[in-house]
Amino acid sequence: MSARAVSAPSVRDALFEAPGPRMRRKIVVGTAVSALLVALGLAVVVRQFYVTGQLDARYWSFFLEWTTWRFLAQGFVGTLEVALTAGAIALVLGLVLMLGRTSGVRPLSAVCRVVTDFFRGVPSLLLIYFFFLVVPQYGVKMPAFWMLTLPVALAAAGVLAEVFRAGVNAVPKGQVEAALSLGLSPARTMFKIVLPQAVRYVIPSLIAQLVVVVKDTTVAYVVSYPDLMQNARVLITSYDALVSMYLVIALIYILINYAINKASVYVAQRTGVKIIR
Amino acid sequence: MGLSELLGTYGQNYLDGLLTTWGMTAVSFVFVMALAVLVTVMRVSPLAPLRAAGDLYVQVFRNIPGVALLIIIAYALPSLRVVLEWRTCVIVTTILLGSAFGSENFMSGINTISVGQIEAARSLGLTFGQILRRVVIPQALRTTVLPMTNLLIAVMLTTALGSQVPLDPQELTGVVSYVNTRSTGGILAFLISALGYALTAFVISFVGNRVDRRVRILR
Repeated sequence: MSARAVSAPSVRDALFEAPGPRMRRKIVVGTAVSALLVALGLAVVVRQFYVTGQLDARYWSFFLEWTTWRFLAQGFVGTLEVALTAGAIALVLGLVLMLGRTSGVRPLSAVCRVVTDFFRGVPSLLLIYFFFLVVPQYGVKMPAFWMLTLPVALAAAGVLAEVFRAGVNAVPKGQVEAALSLGLSPARTMFKIVLPQAVRYVIPSLIAQLVVVVKDTTVAYVVSYPDLMQNARVLITSYDALVSMYLVIALIYILINYAINKASVYVAQRTGVKIIR
Repeated sequence: MGLSELLGTYGQNYLDGLLTTWGMTAVSFVFVMALAVLVTVMRVSPLAPLRAAGDLYVQVFRNIPGVALLIIIAYALPSLRVVLEWRTCVIVTTILLGSAFGSENFMSGINTISVGQIEAARSLGLTFGQILRRVVIPQALRTTVLPMTNLLIAVMLTTALGSQVPLDPQELTGVVSYVNTRSTGGILAFLISALGYALTAFVISFVGNRVDRRVRILR
């Protein structure tokens, strides 16, 4: 947002004309009042923490021990493993679904469309319950890792298929026509001309989608897989510090996802493409 | 378990689940929109503290995982003497998450309007309120129809978090876990709920596309 404000005036700033002396005074007063309101809101929250004893040292001191952080780091590795594996599977499956849908073969394209819409329209929690509760009924024993990774991957694959399709649509039609009239087969046109460009268009969006994958992995406790969240829950029971632990964990997740989003925006600016959601 | 047996035993649960999901989605979405407008107004206001608070709000709630937020609201807030009903916890979670994305949609809707239009409106003598009402908001609303339909679907999917707290009646995802812990419902028990979601999402995006085609601004 700020980077754009430097290069060209955004609408956000253009809405107001340069303030005159009276308006400037009003803005100063308004700024002071709103700053006071924001500070007051913060004070109320902190006071509530203090009154209920949540600021006591015993709820926060264990964050100073490095065993706490080592255990959380182990969980983070677990989160990373699931997120990256699921991301890789979703990438391949999403690409396959998109290729099927744009193949021009009617039945195949219909099937891929239904599959894509299904995984996009169903909550990932429901898919996790499917692998956790339903699949074992058919005698299939799966480790917790896959009971978590597969549903997260399937949910992401539906979204990625649409992202890829948007990328393919962004490639100018004239190029496809030119390739076909040069005698390239439709498949060669797709793989040699369209796809290489489409993938470049969607890289920032693919990075942004990693946020969704990371968020989805947080329900790992349903299948008792030791990820960041699950390890935090273990620490909560051993230190009896619910509020402080959950707040710290939430903050860690927010920072991780914020970093991913920033990376996506950075890549988008470097390559000069728009982020497709 | 066959379909008829499944529906005979748990049919009422599924129906209640579907209605609960729809109800929570509708209630949440109304508040999502209201809060998204409020946050967006804060983010475009000339008052720096409000801008900063609005930006922080969006960054926090679009990056926090839904489960983490729900757990904080449902299990950590009572330690701070804020006790909410289970259903309210789920709805509040959905509203907080949804409104952050809603505000992002509004912001990108506003950003599609060229700065020149606003400058033109101002040089014609329109006041700030008139610029917002006559120029910015009508165009921003039209371009956000499609993102907002997607947000409505996302809000519906977020209400599945309700399966993580004891709701009565349960929503669609909770029903699946309820049925499968009591009997072997098999793939059918899952498919009924899944179709409830997928078909609703299909109808929403169908209507959204129709509306979008009518009001879209061709540039």
